[in-house]
Amino acid sequence: MSAADTSKLLAAGPWREVPRRLAALWRRSLQFRTVIITLGLSGLAILVIGLYISFSVASNLFQAQRESVLEASNNATAAAQSILDSSAAADRASLQSLMGDAVSTITSISGSSDYAIFRAPGQAVNTNAPPDQLSRGLGGVITPELRQQVQDNPGGQYWQSVALTNADGGTDPGIVVGSTLNVPAAGRYELYLGYNLAEAEETLAFMQVTGIVGAAALLALLSAITLVVVRGVIEPIRETAATSRRLAAGDLGVRMPERGEDELATLAASFNGMADSLQARIRELAELSVMQQRFVSDVSHELRTPLTTIRLAGDVLYGQREDFPGPTSRTVELLHTQTDRFERLLADLLEISRYDAGSVTLATEPTNLVHLAGDAIESMHELAFEHGSELRLIAPGGHLDADVDPRRIKRIVRNLIGNAIEHGEGRPIVVAVDSNETAIALSVRDYGMGMTEEEAARVFDRFWRADPSRTRTIGGTGLGLAISLEDAVAHGGSLDVWSKPGQGTVFRLTLPRTPDAATVVSPLPLEPDDPAAAGPPPTGATGAIEAELAEREVHDA
Amino acid sequence: MTPRVLVVDDDTALAEMIGIVLRTEGFEPVFCADGTGALAAFRESKPDLVLLDLMLPGIDGIEVCGRIRSESGTPIIMLTAKSDTADVVKGLESGADDYMVKPFNPKELVARIRTRLRPAPEPVVETLAVGDLTIDAAGHEVRRGDERINLTPLEFDLLLTLASKPQQVFTREMLLEQVWGYHYKADTRLVNVHVQRLRAKVEHDPDNPRIVMTVRGVGYRAGATT
Repeated sequence: MSAADTSKLLAAGPWREVPRRLAALWRRSLQFRTVIITLGLSGLAILVIGLYISFSVASNLFQAQRESVLEASNNATAAAQSILDSSAAADRASLQSLMGDAVSTITSISGSSDYAIFRAPGQAVNTNAPPDQLSRGLGGVITPELRQQVQDNPGGQYWQSVALTNADGGTDPGIVVGSTLNVPAAGRYELYLGYNLAEAEETLAFMQVTGIVGAAALLALLSAITLVVVRGVIEPIRETAATSRRLAAGDLGVRMPERGEDELATLAASFNGMADSLQARIRELAELSVMQQRFVSDVSHELRTPLTTIRLAGDVLYGQREDFPGPTSRTVELLHTQTDRFERLLADLLEISRYDAGSVTLATEPTNLVHLAGDAIESMHELAFEHGSELRLIAPGGHLDADVDPRRIKRIVRNLIGNAIEHGEGRPIVVAVDSNETAIALSVRDYGMGMTEEEAARVFDRFWRADPSRTRTIGGTGLGLAISLEDAVAHGGSLDVWSKPGQGTVFRLTLPRTPDAATVVSPLPLEPDDPAAAGPPPTGATGAIEAELAEREVHDA
Repeated sequence: MTPRVLVVDDDTALAEMIGIVLRTEGFEPVFCADGTGALAAFRESKPDLVLLDLMLPGIDGIEVCGRIRSESGTPIIMLTAKSDTADVVKGLESGADDYMVKPFNPKELVARIRTRLRPAPEPVVETLAVGDLTIDAAGHEVRRGDERINLTPLEFDLLLTLASKPQQVFTREMLLEQVWGYHYKADTRLVNVHVQRLRAKVEHDPDNPRIVMTVRGVGYRAGATT
């Protein structure tokens, strides 16, 4: 599946189709699957690594910030304390001014403008003591716990992470550091300094964004690389698949290009080896088939020429048989009839070999099957009469010109009638022709001895006889029905048999009216509606041809 | 005078047997066993009819047929072991008048030969006209103006049959019966091939025939006199 197919597959159809299509893509495209797996696994790895880096950088950054904040705060506290210590101020105004000096020192050294100064609780009330100060940024962020810690340990330094309100009204992460100042003549004061860490957080966010963008780019790159690598492997496989398809479709000359010495080259080489031997084998078979056809043709020539001589000689002798003494005369007669039989057998053998070699072509022309059946009946009338069977033609339909090879169809009809006469036990034989939209059919029904199911299943086998002890009275070659079946199949039709012991036999030929008819329903039933009858109902007609003409008149009227 | 028949067949037994049949029926057979010597034998013996096997050593029967036809209109009957379409049509196209598929019986053989050798029926009229052609029935000649057109006896028969009843459409079966002497259904390719050969000789434009017209689905008829 190419990238174009993939995008088409994804773009086409409503959105609820997408999961199904993706699943189909997953199943059908190795390339898609490989890329997705690569993407998933490397994405997971990058996520883990990215999170780790992000956390450790964030924690390092915070620690460094905190160290510097604590140091700055410590320095500011120390500087303020030394200012306070060196002062001797005792009245209210000088204490106020001293506190102002200390605060300005603190803000300049600490680098933070957010500060809070509270007079530590639990001391004697001193009206001279400077008041508490709280800059706006620190409003509400100093927790009682921090204050408690600072109050409990006047020499220590304590910090706490807080959210500082910034100028936009939002909050920034920050640290509040608490320490203690001793103001002479005013008592202990708590000093809190707030540091805004927004800048550090921005740095961190920038780093994270960079990391994510980098990871995405890396993933895209990985996908692209996988795609290219997989395509490098898939493309030859796809090519192999396409080549095998063409080979399977019959293009035996197709080969794969063999490049280099890698596994794919080995695949191509072994594929080509397979194709070579396949082609050789098929060519061998084709040659064999051509040889077979040539052999049949040669046998035809080689056998027919001496047979012609025998035939001529036999006929010359046969013409003079009255002049020979009894046994010699009979010998000449036997020679004559057996030469005839041999000739028919040879003709049938060659015909069936032609079918076996697939070298049969139909010479179709518009043919009226009713007329054809009538002609066949007429030509076999005498033979039927000799066996005591009456031939009847019933043609409710089929008065149309069908495109068939009349020579072959007539051969089938004569064959079926001949069979019916031979096995009909002197009872009437009914030939029926009918047609519908898709097909035209002809059936031959006798009321003779019939066959068992097992026997009926074998009637189309070559040289098969229902009863081996019975001789062929009409001189069939044993190939007649096999050839008839081939003739029917060559027309795209079928030849079916129904038979019951003691009830007779029906052979039904069905031919499609057009060669490309998909489903064909035979216009005639295979199983007769009077299976047990000993013969057809009397029609009053005296002969087959009359019956046919009567039918024809009815339908032409 | 006994008609002379040249038998060209490499199978000596068959040739001899055919010879016996022919002699019994009052013909004089002459033999030739290969394709190479066939033409020389033909020129030397000047037969009234040739029986020609299709498969011959040396030059094959179709080629021999074409060479004989190029210098003479003598009737040629092909003998073939193959009834397959291609060979028969090739033989007819190379000029054979008729063909017989082996094995054949003596009656058939003699009947075919007699049909080809029968004298033309006494013409009712001396000359006929068809298209811009004049047919001299008695003199076995076809002329376009002063130009004489060389036809084989079979082609002449075919043209004469059509021209003698210009109003009638002849089916292939009728022509097979009247020209070739078949009384049962035979191979209609005989008619098709010979109509093509005749047209090639007498038509100005064989693809647009004016002398031997096709009547679609029925057969042929002679063109109107101009």
